[in-house]
Amino acid sequence: MAKLVLEGVSKTFKGKPLAAVYDLDLEVEDGEFLVVVGPSGCGKTTTLRMIAGFETPSQGVIRIDGKPMNSVLPKDRNLAMVFQSYALFPHMTVAKNLSFGMKARHEPKATISREIETIAGMLGIDSLLDRKPAELSGGERQRVALGRALLRRPQAFLLDEPLSNLDAALRVQMRLEIKRIHKQFPVTTVYVTHDQVEAMTMADRIALMSGGRLQQAAAPERIYDSPANTFVATFIGTPKINLLSGSVVSDGGACHVTFLGCTYSLDSAASKALHRFAGSSVTVGFRPEEVRLAPGGGGRLPTAQGTVELVEPLGSETNVVARFDEQVIVFKVPARSGLSVGDSIRVEFEPSQMKLFDPDSGASLDLGSAHSEPQLSPIRV
Amino acid sequence: MVTIAAGTQRRGRRQPEEGQALILAATRRVTRQRVLLSAIHSVIGLAFLLPMLWVIDAAFSVHASPLLTRPSFTLVNFRSALSLGAGRAIGNSLYLAVVSTVIATAVSVLAAYALSRQRVPLKGTLLVGTLVLSGLPITLLLIPIYIMYVHLNWLNSPFYTSLALAASSVPFAIWLLKNFIDQVPKEFEEAAAIEGSGGMRILWRVIVPLATPGILVAAIITFINSWGAFLLPLVLDANPANTPASIGIYDNILANSQVSYGPLAAYAILFSVPVIVLYLISTRWLHGGFSFAGGVKG
Amino acid sequence: MTVATAPAGDLAPGSSRANDRERFKPSTLLWISPATAILVGLFLVPIGYAIYLGFTNLQLLGPHAQFYNFTGLANADRMVHDPQFWSSVKLTLIFVIGSGIVAQTILGMALALLGQRSFLTVRMSVGSIVIVAWVLPEIACAFLWYAFSQAGGPLSHLIGKPGDDLLSTVPFLIVCVANVWRGTAFSMLILSAGLRGVPEEVDEAAQLEGASYWRRLFRVTLPIIRPTILVNMLLITIGTISDFTLIYAMTQGGPGTSTAILPVFMYIEAFTYNALGYGTAIALALMVIGLLISAVYIHQLRPELRRGQ
Repeated sequence: MAKLVLEGVSKTFKGKPLAAVYDLDLEVEDGEFLVVVGPSGCGKTTTLRMIAGFETPSQGVIRIDGKPMNSVLPKDRNLAMVFQSYALFPHMTVAKNLSFGMKARHEPKATISREIETIAGMLGIDSLLDRKPAELSGGERQRVALGRALLRRPQAFLLDEPLSNLDAALRVQMRLEIKRIHKQFPVTTVYVTHDQVEAMTMADRIALMSGGRLQQAAAPERIYDSPANTFVATFIGTPKINLLSGSVVSDGGACHVTFLGCTYSLDSAASKALHRFAGSSVTVGFRPEEVRLAPGGGGRLPTAQGTVELVEPLGSETNVVARFDEQVIVFKVPARSGLSVGDSIRVEFEPSQMKLFDPDSGASLDLGSAHSEPQLSPIRV
Repeated sequence: MVTIAAGTQRRGRRQPEEGQALILAATRRVTRQRVLLSAIHSVIGLAFLLPMLWVIDAAFSVHASPLLTRPSFTLVNFRSALSLGAGRAIGNSLYLAVVSTVIATAVSVLAAYALSRQRVPLKGTLLVGTLVLSGLPITLLLIPIYIMYVHLNWLNSPFYTSLALAASSVPFAIWLLKNFIDQVPKEFEEAAAIEGSGGMRILWRVIVPLATPGILVAAIITFINSWGAFLLPLVLDANPANTPASIGIYDNILANSQVSYGPLAAYAILFSVPVIVLYLISTRWLHGGFSFAGGVKG
Repeated sequence: MTVATAPAGDLAPGSSRANDRERFKPSTLLWISPATAILVGLFLVPIGYAIYLGFTNLQLLGPHAQFYNFTGLANADRMVHDPQFWSSVKLTLIFVIGSGIVAQTILGMALALLGQRSFLTVRMSVGSIVIVAWVLPEIACAFLWYAFSQAGGPLSHLIGKPGDDLLSTVPFLIVCVANVWRGTAFSMLILSAGLRGVPEEVDEAAQLEGASYWRRLFRVTLPIIRPTILVNMLLITIGTISDFTLIYAMTQGGPGTSTAILPVFMYIEAFTYNALGYGTAIALALMVIGLLISAVYIHQLRPELRRGQ
């Protein structure tokens, strides 16, 4: 169990001009379950392989428990990895697959059989010990891979998209199982996936990457509520966040944000922060659940008028896609609202949830923190 | 929990030099390993190269001896080789190789196509049989074949010798080509058939072009085997005018008690170069090292 | 040549094309007839003939050249009591197993493994050299090693005994070395291909488990390519057991019969001593030995064959 630190880690492959990983600073606390998530090609697998030691960083240091690992061979790093393809030894039985590592480390036979019994029992694979990988189902193979990793008693677990090869139902089941295992064996874990649902449901913290760069690393709620840039805002959350074009208007000392014909005023701290943007455009973000039908007869909030283009009933609720002038908004309504395509509607926006982003860089505009500089988070490289 | 956004201040970052030093150490270790392994690899390569160096040296030296000397780059030996009959003998080898390759390839393509696409009685048995026969070296059947040739009066004929050589390659060629043709999509033939093409035309216009790599492999393997054939021509053809170079070189080793290394080395090189060139060309064409699965010995 | 036209009915949807079973066309026989003729005429018939001839006293020249009889087990009896035959069997086994299977597999594997890590130029150059040794016509190889091991030649100088004609002092060793030199490329190619088929992640998983290089090699990599190794050995066996030219050209089986492996022995008995019947019997014995060895491999490969590999 250990704290994992990546300092300024970059990786460029020969012959490829763009870096696969660029200037990555990341810390994983002891026992933390960190999910590294992002679209294909964002560098998450490369990062994992650098932690494991199969790739050497072009720059930067990787430390486990403070000790630099750059020149340590994978076999000496005391890590365990579950590969996307499980990488079970095809010619060995499950039992031999599980005992391989302990035999390689010369552990006594009694210990080996005892450990295997415990872990196999816990994972429900004790009836499979004499079978070969080819005879197992995908879910069973995955559990053997997990078992092999657990038996390593590693400093840290690395998991590379372990659920992608499973069908949907099994995936949900295994998500729970992995979390349960982590509770029982709270080992530092780095879990790589492209699925944001897995990230949101499993992570203690999420590290979102894109184009080789870290976009944001924070707890799921914070990433959801305070995304660092439009990429993060769009990647996390289904249906996707609505990004609208608006502008900032200055009126003496106070600032207002206008979009879709609505004007929202900002408090003094926010006004001060946004003063530089007075007169320029800004991107306004609201998640679908932060937009709702205006109460009949109008409430206290400004509303926008639009036309329904699509109604998607989901059973427990309904997604509505509506067009407002040139912009399209997705929002949620209760299940049986009786809306149909073509209806004219008015919506209002929850002011406390308004997120503002720089229209060029996509970086979120911090409203009211002491740090008033917009954070530079490049979106897609 | 701390939110880190890339590009903000580096918190307490140690000197980047530490990272660099570690990376250099790691890379250096990997390179050292590769250097050592490459050295061992090269030593083995040199051991293999040594006899070849000798031959080249001897062929180009005026007074070739079994010892390695500095070659003087003379062509004298090559001329002597020709006077020993190398030209005629290599011509004979060429005949045997070409004729046997043509026969074997043609016969095998026809059979392989039929086995791949058509309904053949006892197909399973035939295929297994071909596989088994490809593991049966024809040298074992030398004596019965010789006697059959005696009775048929097929001895001392380059053509019938080529036939025997072709036979030794046919089983493997059928197996190879059948698997190859299996992978040619059927749609092409069906399209041709709809247009009214018959079997032979389909074969010629559709299959052969698509299966060319496989056909070339089979042909080249047969060619190389027949080019270097020794035992079958030795036994089946006693006419000195028909002697292929493989036997020609042998006769010269035996004939003189004082072996003339220079000319013989030149002879050997003249005989070997065509096949080596053929192999190099074929690997270039058929995208790099194809493995002669089992076809070359014997 | 008759042109076989596929009747349009064959391709009508819903007919034979759909159920994948073509009707048998007599023209098919034409397609396979040349191949069948050759295989029957030059393989099957000779095999049958050999089985008969091996039990006769046919001679090349001499009283039994024209009028020969079926002699039952006389040849077999002679073989069993012939010390030269047994010496030849022993030589054949050492040649095939020692300089064939063992030496070429190990050296081929070493080259394949080294090739994985060494620099590209080295790998390509050494690979080419080894392969050229293999592509050379067998007679060229024989001549090369003949000259190389002569008295006063490079090899004798290398081992410090310049006066020794190595083909007289250690003929069998030289012949074995020449065979290894010639044949290793084959194993190198096949085993390299096999190694490339091992998924990288499996080796990486083994690394993370803490296994050293040698443990990974012997417990993970080699077992995974076991079928490839076995097929390689089978092919080496088939090729080496019938090898004639290399040895005959270098030593003619001698000095004496100290290098006469079975194919060479067979030739000498048949064509030098005129005993065609006896020679055929030897060939039959050779076939049996070959079949037995192949059966061992096929038995070892049973699980893979069943799985359709």
